[in-house]
Amino acid sequence: MQYDNMITRQRKWMFYLLAVIVLGAGLTPYPRIFLGLLLGASLSFYNLWLMQRKIKQFGQAIVENRSAKGIGSFTRLATAALAVLIALRFEEHFHLMAVIIGLVAYYFVIMMDFALFRSRD
Amino acid sequence: MGALAAAIAVGLAALGAGLGNGMIVSRTVEGIARQPELRGPLQTTMFIGVALVEAIPIFAVVIAFMVMGQ
Repeated sequence: MQYDNMITRQRKWMFYLLAVIVLGAGLTPYPRIFLGLLLGASLSFYNLWLMQRKIKQFGQAIVENRSAKGIGSFTRLATAALAVLIALRFEEHFHLMAVIIGLVAYYFVIMMDFALFRSRD
Repeated sequence: MGALAAAIAVGLAALGAGLGNGMIVSRTVEGIARQPELRGPLQTTMFIGVALVEAIPIFAVVIAFMVMGQ
């Protein structure tokens, strides 16, 4: 199914991105920036996973004529708040701007995936 | 004043996101109920739409917490 293929690809891209960031944190002389990116991208991955799961459950509920239980918007906003709170509390370890850039990593993944595979599916 | 600014920022952004999400979800429900075989493409469109709509409130939450933290 088109949707299942898309979520598998997006998770794969996020894993690649996280692997590159971990390498950057370990091997480059800028651990604070890469740790911030890692924190943001990890919570971004959680947001992506939650959105994929909730929308799949939502579609299933419509097809089976059940009532759907929301699409998890509030949880995603709370995740963003958690990332900023951690970055502000442990400022010596995490660069705040890097956390924010990491937090929007899943938009890049979604847009890249949409642009690259739009014609194939 | 920082708490007030944060509340206004998050509240207005969440209002906009709520309206946008509501429109996306209502059209998707309508579409899947009419043609259940189009569930895959409609879910994909809904996924991208919800992601784009929620970008602004996420940034609003980030800015609100930064304002409150200062």
